[in-house]
Amino acid sequence: MPQIGRIKIRLPRTIRKGQVIAVKTLITHPMETGFRKDKATKRKVPAFYIDDVSVYYGGTLISHAKWTIAVSANPFMSFYVKADKEAPLKIVWKDIKGGVYEKTVQVKPR
Amino acid sequence: MKEMKDNDFSNSRREFLKRTGFVSAALLSVSAFSAFIPSQKGELGGFMGALGSGEAQAAPVPGGIKEKLKSIFGGRKVEMSHVVMKTPIIAENGAVVPVNISSDLPMEPGNYVKKIYIFVDDNRDPFIASMDLTPANGKAALSLRIKMRKTSQVRTILEDSNGKLYGSTKTVKVTIGGCGG
Repeated sequence: MPQIGRIKIRLPRTIRKGQVIAVKTLITHPMETGFRKDKATKRKVPAFYIDDVSVYYGGTLISHAKWTIAVSANPFMSFYVKADKEAPLKIVWKDIKGGVYEKTVQVKPR
Repeated sequence: MKEMKDNDFSNSRREFLKRTGFVSAALLSVSAFSAFIPSQKGELGGFMGALGSGEAQAAPVPGGIKEKLKSIFGGRKVEMSHVVMKTPIIAENGAVVPVNISSDLPMEPGNYVKKIYIFVDDNRDPFIASMDLTPANGKAALSLRIKMRKTSQVRTILEDSNGKLYGSTKTVKVTIGGCGG
């Protein structure tokens, strides 16, 4: 099992001021549904998934996502942000067992 | 898609079957093969237009999703326009189904898309995910990979800041389910 909570965030290489940019995010997480059975032990694997994602840009919350078990393992998400200032873009994932994973990237419009 | 505009959530499966029943059996059998689905849908859309049904209805609503939509949106009408949803026609692996939603709705202060919802009708919990947006997003769009238990309709609903709802539905054929068990 790869390390849970490993995050990749990708922004466009060059950003113009005011441009609406695509932000692509990937986080390593098993996203267990609680229905799957472990083949070796024949027991159900308990649910373990991310249910809350927040996006902060320059300190203000701009997006907030609610997820359920039906989001795939190692969730990929992409969305848009209007790059109208040079500010950090922070994304925080929270899972149901209290795990908090976050990463900050700097948006530098030219 | 253009023909999807006429769809309505308040639609019954029976009516849908009645309408499609007119299309020859040959066409229906062809529909099993994904490659033909786009052309079949096109014809169907034209056919329904020819019928002149102002409130054309096409999406069957099983019990679970109906209740879910009602509990979230009440009886509000969903306009089937301004939303483009891209999904694969066939998903070989139901555990990873990419869904790409985009919209041309404005994202200005006071008039923006507040929330994007994703539903899969035949999942145990039809509600998959939702995302709150603000004008700072600049564009109402979202890509996500979701799990699907079996072949089902995927639907997305966008709620704007005035409470208006826009939506789109697509059927995705799943060969291997993705919810474990």
